[in-house]
Amino acid sequence: MSPTAFHEPADLADACALLAANPWGAKAISGGTAIVLMLRNGLIAPESFISLARIGGLRGIAVEDGVLRIGAGTTLAEVAASPAIREHAPSVASACELVGNPRVRNVATIGGNLAEADYASDPPATLASVGARCAVTGTAGRRTVEVIDLITGFYETVLEPDELITHVEIPLPAGPRGAVYLKYRTRSSEDRACVGVAARVDFRDGAVGDLDVVVAAVASTLQRVPDPLAAARGRRLEPPVIREVARGYADAIDPMDDARGSAGYRRKMIEVFVRRALEQVAGQQRGSGGGARG
Amino acid sequence: MADGIGRDYRMPDADQRLLGTLPFVLDRRAAGMVHAKVVRSLQPHATIRGIDASEALAMPGVLAVLTGRQIANDPGIEPYFGAMRVDQPVLAIDKARYAGDPVAIVIAEKPQQAAAAAPFVDVDYEDLPHVVDADDAATPGAPVIHEDWPDNNCGSWRSRLGDCDAALQGADHVFTGVYYSPPASHVPMEPYICLADWTGNELEVWTSTQAPHAVRQGLEKMFSLPEDRVRVRTLNLGGAYGAKGQVKIEPMAACAARAVGRPVRMELSRDEVFLTIGKHAARVELTTGVNRDGRFVARRAKVNYNAGAYAVTSVGASGQGLTRANGPYAIPNIAVDSVATYTNTVPSGPFRGAMTSQLAFAHEQQIDEIADALGTDPVELRRLNLLRDGDVYATGEALHDLHYDELLDDLVDAIGWGTPSEPASPGKVRGKGLAIMLKNTLTPSRSEARLRACPDGTVHVFSSSVEMGQGAHATILQLVSEYLGISIDRLVMGFPDTRHTPFDTTTSSSRTTSSMGEAVRKAAADLMLQLRSLAAKRWQASEDDVEISAGSVRLRRGDEPREQPWEELIEQAEVPDVTGHGVIESDFGLALMDDPHDVKGPVSVHWHQGGAAAEVEVDLETGRLEVLRMHANCFAGKVVNPLRVRQQNQGCVIFGLGPTLFEELDYQDGTLTNPNLSDYMIPSILDVPATITSTAVESDDPGAELHGVGEMALPAVSPAVANALFAATGVRLHELPLTPERILHALEQNGRNQQE
Amino acid sequence: MTDQTAPSGQVDVRLIVNGDAHTVAVDVDETLLDTLRDRFDVTSARGTCGIGLCGACTVLVDSKVVSSCIMLTAQAAGHEITTAESLGGGDGRLARVQEAFVQRGAYQCSFCIPAMALTVHAALADDEAGRSRDSVREYLAGNLCRCGTYPEILEAVTDLVDEAGDRATGSDA
Repeated sequence: MSPTAFHEPADLADACALLAANPWGAKAISGGTAIVLMLRNGLIAPESFISLARIGGLRGIAVEDGVLRIGAGTTLAEVAASPAIREHAPSVASACELVGNPRVRNVATIGGNLAEADYASDPPATLASVGARCAVTGTAGRRTVEVIDLITGFYETVLEPDELITHVEIPLPAGPRGAVYLKYRTRSSEDRACVGVAARVDFRDGAVGDLDVVVAAVASTLQRVPDPLAAARGRRLEPPVIREVARGYADAIDPMDDARGSAGYRRKMIEVFVRRALEQVAGQQRGSGGGARG
Repeated sequence: MADGIGRDYRMPDADQRLLGTLPFVLDRRAAGMVHAKVVRSLQPHATIRGIDASEALAMPGVLAVLTGRQIANDPGIEPYFGAMRVDQPVLAIDKARYAGDPVAIVIAEKPQQAAAAAPFVDVDYEDLPHVVDADDAATPGAPVIHEDWPDNNCGSWRSRLGDCDAALQGADHVFTGVYYSPPASHVPMEPYICLADWTGNELEVWTSTQAPHAVRQGLEKMFSLPEDRVRVRTLNLGGAYGAKGQVKIEPMAACAARAVGRPVRMELSRDEVFLTIGKHAARVELTTGVNRDGRFVARRAKVNYNAGAYAVTSVGASGQGLTRANGPYAIPNIAVDSVATYTNTVPSGPFRGAMTSQLAFAHEQQIDEIADALGTDPVELRRLNLLRDGDVYATGEALHDLHYDELLDDLVDAIGWGTPSEPASPGKVRGKGLAIMLKNTLTPSRSEARLRACPDGTVHVFSSSVEMGQGAHATILQLVSEYLGISIDRLVMGFPDTRHTPFDTTTSSSRTTSSMGEAVRKAAADLMLQLRSLAAKRWQASEDDVEISAGSVRLRRGDEPREQPWEELIEQAEVPDVTGHGVIESDFGLALMDDPHDVKGPVSVHWHQGGAAAEVEVDLETGRLEVLRMHANCFAGKVVNPLRVRQQNQGCVIFGLGPTLFEELDYQDGTLTNPNLSDYMIPSILDVPATITSTAVESDDPGAELHGVGEMALPAVSPAVANALFAATGVRLHELPLTPERILHALEQNGRNQQE
Repeated sequence: MTDQTAPSGQVDVRLIVNGDAHTVAVDVDETLLDTLRDRFDVTSARGTCGIGLCGACTVLVDSKVVSSCIMLTAQAAGHEITTAESLGGGDGRLARVQEAFVQRGAYQCSFCIPAMALTVHAALADDEAGRSRDSVREYLAGNLCRCGTYPEILEAVTDLVDEAGDRATGSDA
């Protein structure tokens, strides 16, 4: 049956209350690019929409207290073009620029992108790799969820039906950082990723202080492999270390199989693109003379 | 003439094209119209035990639900249709033959209501074993798709020249390969759209079709109506590429309109467009006997086209494939067997470069393989074996007006054959490849045109050629202007309307410039003859003394020279108009042959010739191939419009790169899994080389005939890229598309760069 | 602005279409594409893929390109919508970008072309995207043309980028 109401609350608490009042029938809608697709394909049949467009304070980008705060209602195009994001989290800017096409990026929001939990989307892995977390509000109050923990399966998250992401917070790097997101497509330029790799390295005294590599589009959830990351810490980001991490990821991940690539091919591409991503990060380090801002 | 042949005359409605006001059938509305949505089979092959529409009928706005059984029980409807074999029901009758086969139609006041109700039509299926692959379907014991054709054969053709077996035995080398092209989809941006309206027993249909008269004839037959009781009209087509030839959704819309007694509009959604027609998958087995000096002495070709669930044109089209299987080479001993086979998949039909791309992918790769084995240059090997004027082709006919030497030279120059590619970055390699093609055009066929000169000075052009972006109308206007010698501004041309625009077989097979061009040339000659005789009558002079040119008639002899414009003549003669007719019809060809198993030429009014060259770069770690640049060429006879020829050549490259690199219809358990533009991708502006060059080879003969140019380079695209892949890597792929995964796998198996 | 006092399943939406404001009652799940075509006689936006991928349904919402097939009309409430018909001001006048397409013959079947020109227009208005032929080419990657008119479209883009460059450097060549 068709939805019967389109609510446009001006207040976050009202939005959560509307969602709580009808946890299975009410659907929050932000940019709506994914929601309308699901609606048209009969994947969802909401009784009502709760538009988040008129809720104050959900849009915009600010740097405060060592944290980059992105309002959940900020569009992907705005994130990609933001000088603050480009300065402090350039890999996030480039990942947002790689989503869909300009029409989608003009409308889709960063909060909606995360809440959709699309296994093949570019921003979640990149945000996870820079330690981003979601500020979440529901009728029961507020909480913080790490982006890496947000997505629990294909189009599934830890969010309760009445919970909304209000902000995405990225801690600013304390020292030199290199970070990239690589999207590997096997078909058209407009295809979703076969493999997406977000890599981030914080350098300390010219060596790897902290690092993260998150792989998207190969499984239902974001893929991080702790052991090779741990083994890389404290060492210089040079070919042997890079190859070890790449091999470690390829060995540990059990990739999916689809038209964009078989599991076997994806496994090989994980190794290639984790390696290439870290090589690019190493290049950023060299380019900035021992430490990269990234 | 100012606007005639060779000039850069643009489409007169260019502004509308940009503003979005160009008329399409999509924009048509009718008073009181209702909307139809098709219910499609979910099963690839199943008996329909019953259909319960009660729930759907109770839903808001729903007026009727029509089933195949109801249509079959209606004495006023012949429930099956088909251009060459009447095997396709308007709606499945008791049995569905592919997942997507129309089984019912929901008719409702609003399109959303029809769409909402469609899933509630409850169809009771009993599954039957299904078959997707054409070779499997041709094997004894395979599931039978049509009881009338129990071996699943949907076309079978054979030709023999010389003694192929003996020549193969005597050859110094024999090369054999199997080449596979998977099914693909045309993906016109405009979906199928039809608006059908009955008034008494007259039917008016607005539809997005390449063949309005074929649709008219099909519907007249279906409803047992006399000639012209069905009026088919079309507007601009938003792309077709072969997908909109023949009868498609018009019977469904017409039956729906008949059922509810109101105009019915049917617009297919994108997944339904995928489920309506596709490109023939084909497996081509090619064996070539070659002498030590490189000369081809024998060729055996076995082709199996996957027809899908209904014949559409496969019965004859498999014969068209027969005549193209050898490529443009002179080979004295030839044996070709070409069949089409029914399967439980989306019906196959002509796909730009129809039936030929699958073959060129085989013969143009194999000739490079032979060159590699013999240590010869692929271009030299082609030159050695090219068809030249007077050579006998596979069909036994001697061919003329062949231009392959020029085409090959042009490819060599354009791609810099023999000059190594610029070095690629580390981990990547580059290479160049080229390919040529040959294709007969639709023969027999008929085109008719009328030119009506009016007293106001205008000349009205009546032609059923369909404008679908190729510039058919602008080209026809240029030709009429040329042949009549008057300004193009005086010409008026409307859209095809079978009540007013005369018969034309179809706008396809790159035949319009040539065939309709000839019809308007004859119509122009006829018009001028009539004007001359009218002037002679009025001036009481001999027709021989009346000259006609540039819009005027002139008396050549006599005391007082006379000259007057046509319109003045017509006005003073007090006739409403003067009309010239032109008809061109070929009365030979495959369809008229006595024995499809003994094909003997001639089979075509002329032969399409073209080629393509590519330079590619391959990432050795991922297998991803990037096409750096491409060149396309064709033989045009005479170029009517340089921009449009260039656009056709470029369009061939861009259209051809899709199935070369990634386009493929994917079936799982008999069901198409990717009928949408996210899972079935077509080339974007970033997927094609930023620079694509083009050449049109023209004849030296000032009286040369015009050739169509819509699909000449296309069949050469895939093999040119595949040959470039080999040049770059040493990897040979016999199956499309050339995906990174396939390339990487082959590199790991036997790539020449494996150990580097 | 939307108003939920309308009958169940419908919502009153105030839209500004090509400069004129209208309030229409639409279904909650009605797409902007359907509203524009069915209620405003817009023909330049065309449904093709239905999933926001091909670009044929592009319109400008507050001067930015969007896919009208995956935007609810209710979401567009209060926003300014411009379609290809009115990019040049209406009454059949062409915008400069549309002229550039015409000059280069950058059209074939033309089903995708109005949207293509709107997208070039938006790219050129964007400091980042409009800077070079290559960046506009990237911006256009989400607009599909099956006829393969891309080369002529790029020629038109090149003309427009050159003009913008001339304006920026004060040249009047």
